[in-house]
Amino acid sequence: MLWYKGWLETRFRLLFILGFTTFILLLQYSVRTATPPPGARDPAFGLILFSNPTLVLMLCALLGGAGIVTQPSLQATKGLHGSTLFTLSLPVSRLRLLAVRAGTGWLEVVVVIAALCCGMWLVSPAFRAVATPVEMLEYAGTLMACASALYCFSVLLATFLDDQWRAWGTMLSAAALWWLSTHTPLPASANIFRAMREGSPLLAHTMPWTAMAFSLGLAAILFFAALKVVQFREY
Amino acid sequence: MTDFIIETSQLCKSFKEKAALRGLDLRVPAGSIFGFLGRNGAGKTTTIKTLMGLLRADSGSAHVFGSPVTDADRSIEVRRRIGFVTEDKELYPYMTVEQIICFTRPFFPKWRHDLERRYLEIFELPLKRKIPDLSKGMRSKLMLLLAISRDADLLILDEPTDGLDPAAIEDVLRELVAIAATSGTTMFFSSHQLAEVDLIADHIGIIDQGRMIVSGSLDDIKARYQRLRVVLEKPVELPVRWEDGVESVRQEGRMISLLTSRNVDAIVEQAQSIPGAVVERYPVTLKEIFLEQVRSN
Repeated sequence: MLWYKGWLETRFRLLFILGFTTFILLLQYSVRTATPPPGARDPAFGLILFSNPTLVLMLCALLGGAGIVTQPSLQATKGLHGSTLFTLSLPVSRLRLLAVRAGTGWLEVVVVIAALCCGMWLVSPAFRAVATPVEMLEYAGTLMACASALYCFSVLLATFLDDQWRAWGTMLSAAALWWLSTHTPLPASANIFRAMREGSPLLAHTMPWTAMAFSLGLAAILFFAALKVVQFREY
Repeated sequence: MTDFIIETSQLCKSFKEKAALRGLDLRVPAGSIFGFLGRNGAGKTTTIKTLMGLLRADSGSAHVFGSPVTDADRSIEVRRRIGFVTEDKELYPYMTVEQIICFTRPFFPKWRHDLERRYLEIFELPLKRKIPDLSKGMRSKLMLLLAISRDADLLILDEPTDGLDPAAIEDVLRELVAIAATSGTTMFFSSHQLAEVDLIADHIGIIDQGRMIVSGSLDDIKARYQRLRVVLEKPVELPVRWEDGVESVRQEGRMISLLTSRNVDAIVEQAQSIPGAVVERYPVTLKEIFLEQVRSN
């Protein structure tokens, strides 16, 4: 039943995110109607450099959670929400609490990314013209892999911050990382934002394997750190 | 160890510089209704959180059902046998009454559907209402339902009647006693309401500044503590030193009031040796014992 709790915690956020995804798709649909200059790329491609990583960032900030500290709403609470003690009194290990909640949120992230990529393919002839379905699938896989590090960072923050600070913390940290990725000579293998933008299969027509592996490795480390925090933290 | 459901020895816990528990020794016999008393900040909630494995003790030991509370593997099985009501009665704000019951039920294989239905009816809980829309009293009742329906062997209740109106308190206390009587469930509850502890507890522990200052069977404690009223013919000089067992002495004119905790016969004899003194014995209430012990500590 822990998945049910996770679902109830995130369902309205998921709805909000799906609304935002629809907005992004409409935007991509509307910009493609502008006629690109000869030889230039469709403006829809320029838009995804910004809109899709932003959506991924929002997904991680809104849907992340550690399953122990209750996430009542995106408002700051005075310390821990009292129901956290109820959660911890259940005959369940802290590992399971963490894994099920993080898994529920991750599944929702995957669903939104899949919906985004399917939507892009369906609504925008620009993408259909230059990208094959396989490349679209690869693009979705790249977004999912690159989102994993950001998502696990959000999970880690959720182990010791209330929901509002966790969401802001994730967004601000990721925005700072994004800025760094464009303003400093970060190696491409560690640049997950580049992998979601110009290095993505949609634009570079090649899979950013090293950046994806880096993101997944970082996600594993962050998840392990989150597990250690919940196992040793007092409530 | 098996005679005691909860047993702590020299339990210590500090938060930064502040010591919350200073060598707490607590023993809760199986099948008892144990009232855990103390002032605000005495260490009651810290004790309960330590027993539930939410806090780690700095030193000393704590066992529940014979298992050390620090044993993470066994703690899951231990928690399956415990019903817990938290101090602030907060539950998930995004669930309704029905949803929280459906959520909790599968974690407890011995869940009693008959008790669930019974307490839904007795407590008049609205199934479709969201938890934030419930009053604190209703939330207390809901937490009690969730704790009782698990068919737990041990109920740990932190201020279970907090927020309830007098009629609801009466209902809840009656039900708690009925559960203890019919199922043999051990109850460990903290409370500020001395009258309700006096009403239902058969064992008590009084904690102050992180130490247990009185503990044992309520009947034994009440038998041990007595108030002696000594009426003098005329004001005289009192004994410089009373016999051992006098907890407090208060004198107003020709009237002396003594609270004794033991050795009462010797104290009565000593009082009667004062010329012209008439000595009367009175039973004491739990409130008197509590206040006297806490003040003298």
